[in-house]
Amino acid sequence: MRFGLKQWLGAGLAALVLGLTAPVIAADTSSAQEQAARQQAQPGNNSPVWRDVRGGDNPYQTTQVRGVETAVLVQTEGETWRQLRNRVVTVYGGWLLVLMALVIGAFYYWKGPIKLHEQPTGRKLLRFAYWERTVHWGAAISFVLLAITGVIIMFGKHVLLPIIGYTLFSLIAQLSKLVHNFVGPVFAVCTVLMFLTYVKDNLPKAHDLQWLAKGGGLLSGSHVPSGRFNAGEKAWFWMGVTGLGVVVSITGFVLNFPNFEQGRELMQQANVIHAIAALLFVTMSLGHIYMGTVGVEGAYDSMRTGYVDEIWAKEHHEYWYRDAVAGDNKSGGGAANPAAASAMKEGWKQ
Amino acid sequence: MARMKFLCDAERCIECNGCVTACKNEHEVPWGVNRRRVVTLNDGLPGEKSISVACMHCSDAPCMAVCPVDCFYKTSEGVVLHDKDLCIGCGYCFYACPFGAPQFPQDGAFGLRGKMDKCTFCAGGPEQDQSAAEFKKYGRNRLSEGKLPACAEMCSTKALLGGDADVIADIYRTRVLKRGKGSEVWGWGTAYGKPEKGATPPAGAKS
Repeated sequence: MRFGLKQWLGAGLAALVLGLTAPVIAADTSSAQEQAARQQAQPGNNSPVWRDVRGGDNPYQTTQVRGVETAVLVQTEGETWRQLRNRVVTVYGGWLLVLMALVIGAFYYWKGPIKLHEQPTGRKLLRFAYWERTVHWGAAISFVLLAITGVIIMFGKHVLLPIIGYTLFSLIAQLSKLVHNFVGPVFAVCTVLMFLTYVKDNLPKAHDLQWLAKGGGLLSGSHVPSGRFNAGEKAWFWMGVTGLGVVVSITGFVLNFPNFEQGRELMQQANVIHAIAALLFVTMSLGHIYMGTVGVEGAYDSMRTGYVDEIWAKEHHEYWYRDAVAGDNKSGGGAANPAAASAMKEGWKQ
Repeated sequence: MARMKFLCDAERCIECNGCVTACKNEHEVPWGVNRRRVVTLNDGLPGEKSISVACMHCSDAPCMAVCPVDCFYKTSEGVVLHDKDLCIGCGYCFYACPFGAPQFPQDGAFGLRGKMDKCTFCAGGPEQDQSAAEFKKYGRNRLSEGKLPACAEMCSTKALLGGDADVIADIYRTRVLKRGKGSEVWGWGTAYGKPEKGATPPAGAKS
């Protein structure tokens, strides 16, 4: 991984510098000379030769076969990639997913879903506008497809293959690869839209610290007020959707489009980063999906229909509720939207 | 049972690319696929050396270890083969391989990879020996006809040796002793430096 950092950081600069490097290559001393000199100083030390064998970027190292890196005789980074992927990422990543599922299962068994403390009023507030829901479900559906197909490609060999056999598993893996490759770019677009749509209400506020200090009242069951999004949701937005979303998108593009003649080393690094980021992403998403479906009563409906009960808003996002009722434009959703205001009025009539 | 290996004598290779041509002709490989290539070090300089390289049929094959559908298998002669019916064209074997052996014919826009193709040591694939289906997917199965790989057989200077490891190592040793130089067996440390793994085809590997 000798040129790794340079490749990643200098990707944009490379095109500019390309014109300047041509004379530099011509001035390169031959490794044969270097090897001869090395034999005088350190007989038996053949490192100049081996550097060429592995690197293939010496202009005097040639081959008739056209293609990317065909002049490389032996590439040793592949073994590093193999060990990282097979022994570290697959093993620890797999157990991380299992552990997260167990933790969520235990939490559900122990605490159960978080229910409303008061009776729903029937008065509804608009929490997510049509566009917000569209973007969310676009990202969510593509994410779930990518997560499932990615997990099959990574762990299927160890989990599915022994059960369903080679032929069927190959068919599923083939389908997974195609879905993963074609849905990937859709998810990248959705990630950008998610960021633009939701960034405003995810900016950190002072009361987020309180929420974090109390753990959101998740374990104690106490009431912790929050804005339109609580600190947990904000953490998911910044670390998951934005941070990991961008990382998996960029590395995904490197892997998805080998027609840009990128070398193996770059793809190996992209693959490892992609796998680690994606596993963390899926692990975090399990928490988000749990809270958004069975974990919190009424949470799923808010994203499904866009509306939440007034009591739900009060109990889960009190600051947002107050702003919404006051018709304050500062927080998204709620009364920020004319439709919401009218819906609220209708609610009050009932 | 013999353990099949390739050995390229860099003192003898004259970069004629006869092995590359022989391979293409023998197996009628698709356009853009090169199962074998010749790399020249210090081209045009003193100390020029050429080495013919293809799949080395490693003892502990990295391609085999990383394949997500486990489509590789190893014959009793140590030849690493794969099942194109199972291959999904992910490219992982190509990332892992030290020798750049796995090749992917393009199967659509944006460099979408088709089924992997690589040197079979002229041993075909999981299909019936010498069948039309086997030839179409993997090329000729010369081993089943009692012949050695076409590239090595065709080599004009006998630089490229392919066959029973003990026999080719003996030939090479004799050469090194006579000429008193050039004892480097290119790629052998990388390919055969680890203990043998996956020597028998996994059950059900042949679909």
